[in-house]
Amino acid sequence: MTKAPAASKIQMPLLIVMAVFLVIVMPLLNVTGHIEDFTLNVWGKYLCYAIMAVSIDLLWGYTGLLCLGQALFFTLGGYMMGMHLMLMIGKLGSYNSDLPDFLVFLGHKKLPAFWEPFYSFPFAALMVFLVPGLLALIFGFLAFRSRIKGVYFSILTQALTYAAALLFFRNELLMGGNNGFTDFRTLLGANLREPSTQRVLYIVTAVLLVAVIAGCKWLTASRFGLIQRAIRDSENRVLFSGYATANFKLFIFVICAMIAAMAGALYVPQVGIINPGEMTTERSLEAVVWVALGGRGTLVGPVVGAVGVNALKSWATRAYPDMWLLILGGAFVLVVMFMPKGIVGIPGQIRDWMAKSKNRRENKKESDVPESEGEINES
Amino acid sequence: MVSPTITRNILWVSCVIALLFCANKISAQEESVKKKIAAIIALGEGDEQTEAVLALKKTPSPEIVGWLEKWKQGVIYIYEAPDGTIIPVIMGDKIEGTRKTAISRFSDDSPVLDESGEQVGVGKYDLDMADTNSKLRRAMSEVESLASLADPDPEERIKAIVKSAIGQRQDKLPALLELQKIETESKVKRALEESIALINLRSDDADKRLAAAELLGKRGSLAAFDILKTIAKESKESGDKKMEEAALLGVKRIEAHISRINAVGTLFRGVSSGSVLLVVAIGLAITFGLMGIINMAHGEFIAVGAYTAYMVQNIFGTGIKLSPFGQSITIPGFGFGEFGMSLYFAVAIPLSFIVAALVGLLLERSVIQFLYRRPLESLLATWGVSLVMQQLFRLIFGPNNVQVSSPVWLSGNWTVNDVVFGWNRLFVIGFAILIIVATWLVLNKTSLGLLIRSVMQNRNMAACMGVRTERVNMMTFAFGCGLAGLAGAFLSQISNVGPSLGQNYIVDAFMTVVVGGVGNILGTVVSALGIGMADQGLQQYLGNPVIGKILVLALIILFLQWRPQGLFVTRSRSLD
Repeated sequence: MTKAPAASKIQMPLLIVMAVFLVIVMPLLNVTGHIEDFTLNVWGKYLCYAIMAVSIDLLWGYTGLLCLGQALFFTLGGYMMGMHLMLMIGKLGSYNSDLPDFLVFLGHKKLPAFWEPFYSFPFAALMVFLVPGLLALIFGFLAFRSRIKGVYFSILTQALTYAAALLFFRNELLMGGNNGFTDFRTLLGANLREPSTQRVLYIVTAVLLVAVIAGCKWLTASRFGLIQRAIRDSENRVLFSGYATANFKLFIFVICAMIAAMAGALYVPQVGIINPGEMTTERSLEAVVWVALGGRGTLVGPVVGAVGVNALKSWATRAYPDMWLLILGGAFVLVVMFMPKGIVGIPGQIRDWMAKSKNRRENKKESDVPESEGEINES
Repeated sequence: MVSPTITRNILWVSCVIALLFCANKISAQEESVKKKIAAIIALGEGDEQTEAVLALKKTPSPEIVGWLEKWKQGVIYIYEAPDGTIIPVIMGDKIEGTRKTAISRFSDDSPVLDESGEQVGVGKYDLDMADTNSKLRRAMSEVESLASLADPDPEERIKAIVKSAIGQRQDKLPALLELQKIETESKVKRALEESIALINLRSDDADKRLAAAELLGKRGSLAAFDILKTIAKESKESGDKKMEEAALLGVKRIEAHISRINAVGTLFRGVSSGSVLLVVAIGLAITFGLMGIINMAHGEFIAVGAYTAYMVQNIFGTGIKLSPFGQSITIPGFGFGEFGMSLYFAVAIPLSFIVAALVGLLLERSVIQFLYRRPLESLLATWGVSLVMQQLFRLIFGPNNVQVSSPVWLSGNWTVNDVVFGWNRLFVIGFAILIIVATWLVLNKTSLGLLIRSVMQNRNMAACMGVRTERVNMMTFAFGCGLAGLAGAFLSQISNVGPSLGQNYIVDAFMTVVVGGVGNILGTVVSALGIGMADQGLQQYLGNPVIGKILVLALIILFLQWRPQGLFVTRSRSLD
């Protein structure tokens, strides 16, 4: 299905240019005042989305698992970070209590026990990875063990996300109900409302994005990545060759959940709010759109897609609020139908198309044999 | 103390009978009723007036109730004539040329004139209202409850009977006992027995109390539940062992009755919510189960059906104004009025099927036909379609929910032995059965069904046998979408119709099909009913709909561990 060499030839330099631009050039331009604080902050948000998109790509583009629950892992990571940030507000909240505002509002006098350890940042950071990772481990174990795959896996992850969102909308969970967490003040002592803090957060996000991409590049180039792609293309053959495909899939599923959770944890301090509205299947599918538009099965694609679609969204929801969903939906349908490799795959597609038509012309000259039916079946 | 009350009441009960059988005489008495009340009002506040009102018990009638209501509302005023007589009056029109209002006598509606024959005019705040105090109002309500006990409508009588048992006042008992003697309607009789027993619980006679507790327990009377509990407690304090035991036994019996009601009620609600799932999922069972197309826009096809019902309703009514893309379009209506409103649904059902099927046809030709071999891509593309469709609904019909009215016959209910069966839920179940039978007939008894099944079993072989698989695909998809449209018309009767109507059902619908076993209609039926029952059962048990729903989803995931391919597996030798 994929011819890796052709794509990776352009990918490598593109990746390096992108990394330098995002990590060094953007913050520098911000310091010199060429880029506004607001713009940098928005880009920080885009890059968090990009990290999530890479995790989806690793699952879907490389392993063939379309998970509609990445938004769940993203939001869970965000919630873990949000719990720490909520406690860091301290007495600055509107009720001047040590408890987070919503707990006071619900009539609680004492901090629930499971909130207590979140005073410590290292613990919260650990939980960012642990909680979504564990959820993915349990769910993935159950799903892969009973060989649930393809669309069934998608539908089940969709149901999982739906159930979790229902749960997080409840006040009884003591996670803020439908308002979620907001009104954060400080992170590790730094004021979150200062542009300099936001700049540091942006740089951290950009660096982590580059690190994630580098890690994925290494992983997909390794023997593991080969098996991964083999599972995508024909799981049964891999299974019959003696590989425990379920374990491979479980590993990659947990890793991707953690990557998405990390993106969520970076997202929350930059955006300043997290609520169960982020946890829906629609959000997952939107992220899948970024990957599909950018080009799945490549590592640049998801980043291009996430940043591109979100930049377009920011502009279009202001300029043409009514048309935005029509544009997004329409573009998505067209890309899925006619551009399976997305934007990044366009050059390759054009090359293929030109080569094909050239072949056809030559064939026609040689003999007037009608085309075989095989072509139609492929489409 | 008891016997004189009874003799007095025999008197008015004979009047009750007279009322029931000689209704035409009432109108002849009307004049006198008004005069009587006018006289009572003229008496002025005090015990005398209260007594006079109580005396009306002898001739209870709806007429009296109506005028007493007017009195309570403060529509009747008191005018003191220059000669000192007090005349109850009602305000009339303004007298022309003055700022005063004409008044007329309450007793016979004749205008009040002064000595020179001119109309008497009063200022807005000159007169006092005919006052009532709490004692008087209590007397009035006694009269009213007696009057409603004599109501010709048995439902009204039952209401009055139940009401008269509240507070368990002994003085209400004679009226009920008298009514029991002449009552013929069995439903009313049962209500009477219960009410009498309820009042008897506070009787001075110990045997009567015991008998009442026994009867109420056997009947499983819900109204007696709390009262028996209190009585058991009181008897324990007062050391009345026998009564305590009787009351406790009664409580136990009623508890058993309540749990039986709940079980039957839960079962019924489970079947009906399973039917909703079934109706919503049956279209998906065709497109997803038989064709392997993951139609994420399935929910939007449901909305297409619902909006079709909305359009039909408006076209039968007064027409509708739409403003898609800033253009204003007015669609005139037939203006059928009441008659149209009761019939529009019969037209909306087939139309919603046709419209949704046509939209489905369009989608199949433009998008789906390219994706038959790529199920994951079909999921994504149809999600894009669902975004577009939702936004189109928003642009055409507005972002808010629209009003689709239900025919009147859907709003009642049917009560059997304290279990309430709502008509709309019964309708849901009937509709689901209808759709299932229709789908089964189409798939198994028509040539289209034969073609559909053959293509789904082995596409290539069917093609070799000369089946035009492309066309069959098209028809199958359109059929599935049409069923979704039907579901929409149906949902418009029981829930809100808005742009995101479909989103509320899509996850449940997919779950239903997956649990049932893909490619098997019977599996969908069984799983829909199973999920519906589990959902309602857990809701009843936990008392929390959301947690119940979450548990059901968790149960489904665990269930798929046990049977990864669903309840009914379509056996095949092929390896995906």
